Amino acid sequence: MTHYLGVDLGSTTAKTVIVNDTGRIVAAEVVQMGAVSRASLARAMTSALEAAGLDESEIAETIATGYGRRLVPGAGRTFTEITCHARGVAAMCPGTRLVIDIGGQDSKAILVDELGIVEDFAMNDRCASGTGRFFEVLARAIECDIGELADLALSGNRDLEVSSMCATFAETEIISLLARGERREDIAASVHRAVAARTLGLVAQVGRHTPVVMTGGVARNAASVHFVAQALDVPVSVPDTPQITGAFGAALLARESFRGHQIEADGQAGTHRAAPPPDCATCDPAHAGMDPGPDGRPLIPVRPR
Amino acid sequence: MDTAVTDRSNRLSVTKLGGKMVADYWANVFTARERGEKVVWYNGSAVNPFFQAAGLVWCHGEAFSARLAAQHLEQPAQLAAQEYGYVGELCSYARTHLGCAVLTQNAGHANGTGIVGLPEQAELASRLPAPDFFVNAYAGCSTGQQWDDISFRVFGKEVPIFNVSLPFLWGNKPDAGYLIGEEWEQASRYVVGQLHELVRFIETMTGRPFDWDALRQNMAYIKQASQLRREAMALCAHAPTPATFWDWITSIAHINFLPASQELVDYFAAVKAEVEQRLAEGVPAVRDERYRVYFDGFMNWNKLGFLARKFAAHDVAVIAGRYTHQAFWQEPHLIDPENPITGMAQHYLLCPTNHGAKTIKHLVLRDCEQYGVDGIVFHSTRTCRAFTNPQHLIAKAAQRELGIASMFFEGDVADASFYKDEILESRLAAMLEGIDVRRARGGVVPV
Repeated sequence: MTHYLGVDLGSTTAKTVIVNDTGRIVAAEVVQMGAVSRASLARAMTSALEAAGLDESEIAETIATGYGRRLVPGAGRTFTEITCHARGVAAMCPGTRLVIDIGGQDSKAILVDELGIVEDFAMNDRCASGTGRFFEVLARAIECDIGELADLALSGNRDLEVSSMCATFAETEIISLLARGERREDIAASVHRAVAARTLGLVAQVGRHTPVVMTGGVARNAASVHFVAQALDVPVSVPDTPQITGAFGAALLARESFRGHQIEADGQAGTHRAAPPPDCATCDPAHAGMDPGPDGRPLIPVRPR
Repeated sequence: MDTAVTDRSNRLSVTKLGGKMVADYWANVFTARERGEKVVWYNGSAVNPFFQAAGLVWCHGEAFSARLAAQHLEQPAQLAAQEYGYVGELCSYARTHLGCAVLTQNAGHANGTGIVGLPEQAELASRLPAPDFFVNAYAGCSTGQQWDDISFRVFGKEVPIFNVSLPFLWGNKPDAGYLIGEEWEQASRYVVGQLHELVRFIETMTGRPFDWDALRQNMAYIKQASQLRREAMALCAHAPTPATFWDWITSIAHINFLPASQELVDYFAAVKAEVEQRLAEGVPAVRDERYRVYFDGFMNWNKLGFLARKFAAHDVAVIAGRYTHQAFWQEPHLIDPENPITGMAQHYLLCPTNHGAKTIKHLVLRDCEQYGVDGIVFHSTRTCRAFTNPQHLIAKAAQRELGIASMFFEGDVADASFYKDEILESRLAAMLEGIDVRRARGGVVPV
């Protein structure tokens, strides 16, 4: 059986996904990095290959995405995270119209059309505000593990004013709130609200469409999802493994690229136009995007670059 | 950090030769005092034909800031401005030029400025001769309107100043539209009145009667040059395009502030001839043009060559832009060389930042259709709100009405620190991927 590799080399993590001929995930790895590095990338690729019981020579096609995408050896070509996240979500949660991806150093609102392909997008433009880095700043300032943030934030009940414009100045604000004697829970909740407000600004640029799915590492933070949903005033779904969405999309694009340098748009999504909002609690990415769909569906050309 | 790019651009050779005309012009400005000539500093609209007719030497502040930035020599002036007290968020054209004013003021003083320790680089920035008077004719930007007023203060309020007030064209009356309606007619008359006042002011400054024949001659040359420029631009509706936005950027100086002359007409005749020759021979401006985009925003002067190469490396031909195509004597039919004042007044109102959003949308979308573009690149100019204010409205309208994708990147006119290459790189790649998708779906489908 032929296998395909998707690599998402982000600012803080390296994600690899291997899919088989049917688009089924056979291995997925997430490696935490101190910085973008070839060593971490190699570790993530080796782990995924080992988990799949494959040798590198058995990978028919590799597609890379993320800020470090140009570092990935053997990649047939690269795609932006925008296209890959949209592709991954279209397969994981068919019918999704709006993807909110909050990664380590950037955040995106991606409008996906009925066929599951990118219609419009907006990204944070100036600094780390509204990104995973913002939460790292918060955790450091209030001296807690990043994994504890969600529980802290969800138990906060006061709305303190925290800047959503600059991660560095937000840290100063947090320290001054601590010095004022404010509770860590309220500070954590307020920072999450600030990130949600920033996300709302991105969504405003592409339009608030539903169903909404949140991807990226920050989507694992339940408080973040809660406050984004509250700000948007709509339910927000999260795939089981939101971090690998981009790598999964890249792997699917690699599979489709290998099939004659044509990438098939997710034709299935069109058949789900009237489907209810995705229930990602029951959405199993291992089974997503399996069938290529009938011939004659829209094709996306893949040009070697 | 900039990514390395292979040069797949093929810019017009004649515009490279045009660089000498610009260099000669500035050399003439720098040596004005040696020839005993009077110097006027001005900003905003192209009121230079009046100065030329009056025998003055004219220095356009934005143009000099842009030149310094294009030569990567802007920093001493910007540091001097910051030392003087201007914040880094101030329009970088204004900040650079105000720094030049400070350096010019300090030229010859032993103490100079405190923190600016870049004497060799500062040398060019400080070479502007001090002004005998100022003229401000800034449309659509409140900073621009105050800019010369501040320069006036830098020079101790001892240099006369004249301000041409250019009303904003809101375009929201029932009969309003581009070049039509009562608002347009009224604003035109209002500016005509001020231009006559400007002539009287110039007469006072020079002590001579104004030479109206010289002005008519100047405007005859400008009309010819503008017609040739517009005709050459229109030829770029062909695909692949024979010239790009970057060629028109390189020719801004010529149409905007170089002396009106037969040499100017000859220059644009040569530009048009080269464009025609390329069309005849099938020579493209971008090797393997695959995408045609519109550029909305001021030029990032620090990055002119770099951006030309970067877009070409992605097989992108940047065909047209609001800055190049909706400015600089762009409606030559309005110019009547025999009675030039009305046409001049109207062009001063036609600054690309001086329209309400409705008109800007109309103009940008019209250009997008004329030039057959696939997408719009918005240069979100960090220190210029006047240009960036309507950009999201334009993006939404282009998507909604024409199905044209867009992307935004941040940069600035003369401050390189606001440009982040990865931001442009990733957004451009994403937009091109989207264009591939739309094409594969059988054409552009308006939403």
